[in-house]
Amino acid sequence: MTILDAYRITREPFYRPVGREIELFEAAYASRMPVMLKGPTGCGKTRFVEHMAWRLGRPLVTVSCHEDMTASDLVGRFLLDAEGTVWHDGPLTLAVREGAICYLDEIVEARQDTTVVIHSLTDDRRILPLEKKNEVVTAHADFQVVISYNPGYQSVLKDLKESTKQRFGALAFAYPSPAVETEIVMREAGVERRMAETLVRIAERSRNLKGHGLEEGASTRMLVNAGLLVARGVPVEEACQVAMVVPITDDPDLREALSGAIAACL
Amino acid sequence: MTGRARLDDHNPFPPAWRERWRTAEERIALAGYGDMVTDAYRAAAGALAMSAGPALAIRLAKTVSLAAIRSGRRAACLVPEAALETSARYRQPEDMDLWVAQVEEVLRKAPESALALLENMGRIVGALPPFAFHAFVRAGLASRAAGSGQASAFFALETPEALRMLGGTPGSTGFATLRGQLRPYMTALWGLCPPIAEPPPDAPEAMRRRPGLGGGGVRMPSSYPGFPPEEARLLYRAALAHIGAHRRHTRTLFPAKGLKPLQIALVSLIEDARVERLAALEMPGLARLWNRFHVARPEGPPLAIALMARLSRALADPAYEDPHGFVAKGRALFEEAFQNDRHDQQLSRRIGGLLGNDIGQMRLQFDPKTYVVQPAYRDDNLGIWDFGPQDDQAPIEMEAMLEGARIEQQQGEDGRREQGDAGESAAGRLVTPNDEDAYPRFRYPEFDPVAGQYRPDWCTVREYPVRPGPPALVRALEEARSDIVDRLSSMIRASRVSRQQRVRGQMEGDFLDVDASISAQIARRAGDLPDNRVYGRHERRARDMSVLLLIDCSRSTTDRLPDGSSTVLEMERLSTAFLARAMTGLDDPFAIAGFASNGREDVRYMRVKDFGQPFDRPALGRLAGLTGDFSTRLGAVLRHAGRDLARQRSYRRLLLVVTDGEPSDIDVDDPAHLAGDARMAVRELRREGLDVFCITLGSNSASSAPQIFGRRQTLCLDSVNRLPTVLPGIYLSLKS
Repeated sequence: MTILDAYRITREPFYRPVGREIELFEAAYASRMPVMLKGPTGCGKTRFVEHMAWRLGRPLVTVSCHEDMTASDLVGRFLLDAEGTVWHDGPLTLAVREGAICYLDEIVEARQDTTVVIHSLTDDRRILPLEKKNEVVTAHADFQVVISYNPGYQSVLKDLKESTKQRFGALAFAYPSPAVETEIVMREAGVERRMAETLVRIAERSRNLKGHGLEEGASTRMLVNAGLLVARGVPVEEACQVAMVVPITDDPDLREALSGAIAACL
Repeated sequence: MTGRARLDDHNPFPPAWRERWRTAEERIALAGYGDMVTDAYRAAAGALAMSAGPALAIRLAKTVSLAAIRSGRRAACLVPEAALETSARYRQPEDMDLWVAQVEEVLRKAPESALALLENMGRIVGALPPFAFHAFVRAGLASRAAGSGQASAFFALETPEALRMLGGTPGSTGFATLRGQLRPYMTALWGLCPPIAEPPPDAPEAMRRRPGLGGGGVRMPSSYPGFPPEEARLLYRAALAHIGAHRRHTRTLFPAKGLKPLQIALVSLIEDARVERLAALEMPGLARLWNRFHVARPEGPPLAIALMARLSRALADPAYEDPHGFVAKGRALFEEAFQNDRHDQQLSRRIGGLLGNDIGQMRLQFDPKTYVVQPAYRDDNLGIWDFGPQDDQAPIEMEAMLEGARIEQQQGEDGRREQGDAGESAAGRLVTPNDEDAYPRFRYPEFDPVAGQYRPDWCTVREYPVRPGPPALVRALEEARSDIVDRLSSMIRASRVSRQQRVRGQMEGDFLDVDASISAQIARRAGDLPDNRVYGRHERRARDMSVLLLIDCSRSTTDRLPDGSSTVLEMERLSTAFLARAMTGLDDPFAIAGFASNGREDVRYMRVKDFGQPFDRPALGRLAGLTGDFSTRLGAVLRHAGRDLARQRSYRRLLLVVTDGEPSDIDVDDPAHLAGDARMAVRELRREGLDVFCITLGSNSASSAPQIFGRRQTLCLDSVNRLPTVLPGIYLSLKS
């Protein structure tokens, strides 16, 4: 278990439940059901997994998926050293052997032929064949796969295969209600309630523009960022510009509109 | 002769110029235009020599002459005065020269309209910088084509175009320039995206000065004269925020039955205060935004309208103090009722009624005809009243409202809803009086290549439905020449227009494939035969593009091709059908539309097939139903089609214009103008990342297409058979 000690989460990551997601996740974990977390960017999916890993006392192996990722990046590969060839387990194999939660972040970014390697792990077989090494790894009893998936911005070309999707139980995430989001911003950014409320109101304005020029409104993460700047003494209006306006749009008209909306909330 | 005496006493002309001045003056005096003209010239010349230089003052004699001859004495009298007025605004000598040249142009080309121009010169040059004045005059002259008297009406500032040009030049703060940021502002604040329109220019004064709501839309004044740019912008914001507050918090219309105009105004005033108060609870910054425009003060005579403005301020601004009993009473009543139940809309009705009685008892006059709501950001309040069935309130002009909205709710190619069709603005609901007007209309600017300026909202594009063509023709299009379709298919299939992807395990390539290299090494050490495909490279593998085919359906397309085999339109239809069939087989997203124009107010756009629609029999029928009539106003059509295409999310977006060449229209005598506008439109689209190509049918030699689309983006097709050889040129150039 030493290899995975670095992956253990020792301090409780703050997570404010919005619904029954903690109970549901625990129930899914009890039968090691693979879980898919769906929701817009910055709404707390990754934080939720961290929190659950801590709560369940499992190490968490996170892989951020990208377009160029190959199956060997997940499973492992032979490398050369002075002695000859050495097999190196990939993050997925590591988690499978040691019984960690393997979190594949933004799985759709990976190519479809890469994602099929998790198929044998996500049905009742729970095995991982290492073709090159001629080995079949049977999953540790504690092993679980969790993937995240942002339904917002994929094109048709980038979607999960039906055969992949159907292996998962899914929890849908959304931005929390204003009251809850206020709490989160207060806690994470260390700002006062009134300031947090204002920031949440501003976020609502920006989310109104989703589909009307913005791909996504300001996320909870952006709010926390704005709050952090405010807590460091940056004036609110400026902090909002830096954390919530400039990052999401390059359109000068939209920036003007957002700035106007921010002014209206202060 | 008093003018002469005065001028000689302190002659503003430097000695070197005096001789020339005397000659010019005499020419006017002796030409027999009458004393009025001579005096007018003399009276202004001195001041003009001081402000614009002696050369211009002397030069103007020719203009005065020309005016007297072409447009009559009254116009001639006005020239010097107008020049003087202009010289106060246009400080550079070359600007004044340009001005003189423009005025003379009008005198020569449209003498009947010169008087109107000169009479309104103060207002025009007050609003327009010199280069924009040039564009303005050209637009006025261009409007002659629409009918006699049009130029006069234009220069008299009686047409919408003229007012738009006055209100909407770049750098000014008319609604047209701010629209882009005001729409999302409204959406951001309230989550609403109602259509926003300007009032028609012939609307009553009150309607043009204040915003309005109703009929599912919002009306905004074209400009707020008298407010400096930054203030005007805030004023528009305040207006939209206020209207949003009404839409959120005024739940039901107030019945107007039995109420006097004064009571209606007062109930509205209280309701305004109520919704603003509610909105500010949610967004405190709005109170600040609104308050800055409340400027009523406690001093001044106690007129009804003044007291009402003061009451408005008292309700909006807690720091405002007003000793008048009426204001104090209104405030007390409102505060108490608001505390009690702020969502009770009836409190406005109740308090407004009470206050109406008070005004009556004070015997103050209230004239509903001259009453304008204060402050300027508040709407005329007609939208919150139900005037019963005899409602003669002018509807908000719907054409501009369709902007940004689609009649059909369309699914995008990727199954997502497309931008701009948000629920609130489902423009399909909007009712219009008759059938003709029910076609969606869109306004587009037109570029004046000579003046180097856009004419805002100059062209109206209307989407006409297409009636299906004769079944025999449909069948012919369906069945014709499958070999060409096959060749097109394989050509398109072979073309790879997409983002680059990384391919691994290649015999050769740009980089080493690490995984393959390692396994090759391992194989070598294990004594196996290594796989030497250890390279990787970047390649375009798929095809990710959308195509919009635009077919010229003007009268000239009914001409026969040089070889006499068929008409241009027939060939357009046939090649389009081939292409469409090829692309359908490959599942490439594409759309087809036809276009023609009948003057700038009636640019016709005919949708044959939209993205996401199948290319089925009805679509083929519409293709067969395209007929050749009217002219070719390319620029507006390109802009309209570009909007459609820009919504697509493909890697490349191709706009393919099939035409027989020249842009032209009945209301334009200079074909270079439309070509220049079209070239600008092409440039705009390319800036947006669209690929624009043109296929000219028949002979390319006389066509202006290469100038509009670029030589390498124009392909000439003399026979349908050559389509499979011409098209690869386009696909090839899209690769990089």
